[in-house]
Amino acid sequence: MSGAILEVRHLSKSFGGHEVLRDIDFTVSPGDVTSIIGTSGSGKSTLLRCINLLEIPTSGQILFHGQDVTGKGVNPSRYRSKVGMVFQSFNLFNNMTVLDNCVVGQVKVLKKSRAEARENAMKYLHQVGMAPYINAKPRQISGGQKQRVAIARALAMEPEVLLFDEPTSALDPEMVGEVLSVMRDLANHGMTMLVVTHEMAFARDVSSHVVFMADGVICEQGDPQQVLTHPTQPRTRDFLARFMAQ
Amino acid sequence: MDKFIELGQDMAALWMQYWDRYLVGIRSTLILAVAATVIGCLIGLLCGILNTIPYTKNDPLLKRFVLKFIRVIVRIYVEVFRGTPMVLQAVFIYYGLPYFTDQQIMFRGNSGLWLAAIIVVSINTGAYMAESVRGGIISIDPGQTEGAKAIGMTHVQAMTNVILPQAFRNILPQIGNNFIINIKDTSVMFVIGFIEFFGQHRNIVGNNNMYFQSAAIEMIGYLTMTLIASFLLRLLERHLDGSSSYQLVQGDALTMTAGTYNHPSRGTPFDERSTEERERTRQALKHGRNRGER
Repeated sequence: MSGAILEVRHLSKSFGGHEVLRDIDFTVSPGDVTSIIGTSGSGKSTLLRCINLLEIPTSGQILFHGQDVTGKGVNPSRYRSKVGMVFQSFNLFNNMTVLDNCVVGQVKVLKKSRAEARENAMKYLHQVGMAPYINAKPRQISGGQKQRVAIARALAMEPEVLLFDEPTSALDPEMVGEVLSVMRDLANHGMTMLVVTHEMAFARDVSSHVVFMADGVICEQGDPQQVLTHPTQPRTRDFLARFMAQ
Repeated sequence: MDKFIELGQDMAALWMQYWDRYLVGIRSTLILAVAATVIGCLIGLLCGILNTIPYTKNDPLLKRFVLKFIRVIVRIYVEVFRGTPMVLQAVFIYYGLPYFTDQQIMFRGNSGLWLAAIIVVSINTGAYMAESVRGGIISIDPGQTEGAKAIGMTHVQAMTNVILPQAFRNILPQIGNNFIINIKDTSVMFVIGFIEFFGQHRNIVGNNNMYFQSAAIEMIGYLTMTLIASFLLRLLERHLDGSSSYQLVQGDALTMTAGTYNHPSRGTPFDERSTEERERTRQALKHGRNRGER
C-alpha cells in the first residue's frame, strides 16, 4: 500500500498469558478519520496504546510511512512526536499553565524557540477556544476545557496522525459536546485521526472508516454507513442493538 | 512562681555572660543543618531517580543488570544508614576512616571536623530522602509520564520537565521535616568534638554547673530555630503552589477568528450552553447531520 500513513499488520498483544489483541490488521491513509468502536475490554485502548508504543506489541508490525516502528533502531520518542495522542484522563501536566502545556513539547522535543512555540501554541489554543485561559493551571479548569487543551497540546506538535483514546468518556454529557465539536472541526480540516469512541453519532457522521472490535479481534470494518446501519456480522448487530436500546 | 523568676534571672545572667558563645553555636548549628540538608537532598534525589529508571523485559540484559545492581546498592545504603544511630555513624566515619586507611584519610583540624560533620549528617539525610524521593516520584500519576511520552519526550525530559517538579512539591514537607530534624540532631556531633549550639552549652556548664538554666536557653534557642524554619518552609510551599486564581486573557478584537470570542463572561462556543442550545446539539448528535455537510 503506497501513501498510507499507518499500517497495522498482524498485531498481537498479550499481558502475561492473557491475549488482548489478536492479528489486528488495518490501514490509515492521509485524511482518514477512523473510528474504533466496540465493547469495553475488547482491546480498543490497548490497540491505540500499541500504535503509540506506550505498550510494546507482542508480535506483528506497525508501519509508519512504510517503516516498522516496532523494530530495533527506531527512536520511539521521535516517532511519538509525529503521532499525537489525546487521553481519556487528559494527562495535562499539572505543574504547568495551559500555555506551557502546549509550549513545552515544541521547545524540548522540536527544539523551537520559545517565542515561535508560543505563537504556534496560541494558534491552536484559539482553534479549540481556550486562548483566554492560557494562564490557568489544569486543576482550575473543567474537564471539557482540559480535554480541549490536551487536543491543542497534541496539535501544537503538528503531528501527522492524531490518536484519541476515548476522549469524551470521562466527561459529563454537557462537556462531551464541546470536545466533539472541536474534533469535528479538526476532521473537517483534513486531520488524519484514529478515534476510540463510544459516541456512535460521531463515528457515523464524522469518520470515513469504522472498525468494530470484539474480544481482541477486528470483527468488522468498512464504511461507517455500512458497518453501523447494515452490519454483516452478528456480533456487530448485537452490539449496535444494545447500544441503540439505551 | 518564685522558681520561675529565679530561673529567668539565672538565664539572663548566663546569657549576658556567654551570649556570644551561644550565638556562635547557633551559627554552626544552622550552617551544618543547611549544608547537610541540601547535600542530603541531592544524594536522596540521585538515589530516588536511579531507583525509578524503568526497564522492561525487552531491554538488553546489561541495562537490566546495571539497573538492578544500582537498586540493590541504594537499598543497602538506605537500610544501613537509616538503621543505625547517627552518633555511631559519626564515630565510625571520623575515627574509622583514618583507622582503616592507616591514617591516609584523616579529618585534620577544624576544617576536618566540619567536613566530617557535614559528611555524616548529609549521608544520613540522604538515606531518608532517597525513600522520600522514590515515594514522591511513584506517587505521580503514570498518566503524566504517558502524556509526556506521547508528545515525544524522552524519559529524562519527562522527568526533568514534568515528574520531578511535581514530585519535589510533594516531598517538600519531607525536606522540611529533615531540615528540622537536622537542626536538632546535629547536637550529637559533640561525640567527635564538633562544637555547635549544644556543644557550647556543654562547655559553658562545664565552667559554672548551671546545667538546667543553660538547658532552658538551649530549649528556647532550638525552638526558635525550628519555628522560623517551619514558617519559611510554609512560605516556600505557598509560593510554589502559585496563585489560586488566574487571569483571563482578553484577546485582541482584530485577531479574533471563528471559534474564539471576546467576552469570557458570556462563555465560549464550546462552554456549557443554554438548555435550548444543548437540546439542539443533542438532536444533531442523535440524528446526525448529512455527510455532505462535512
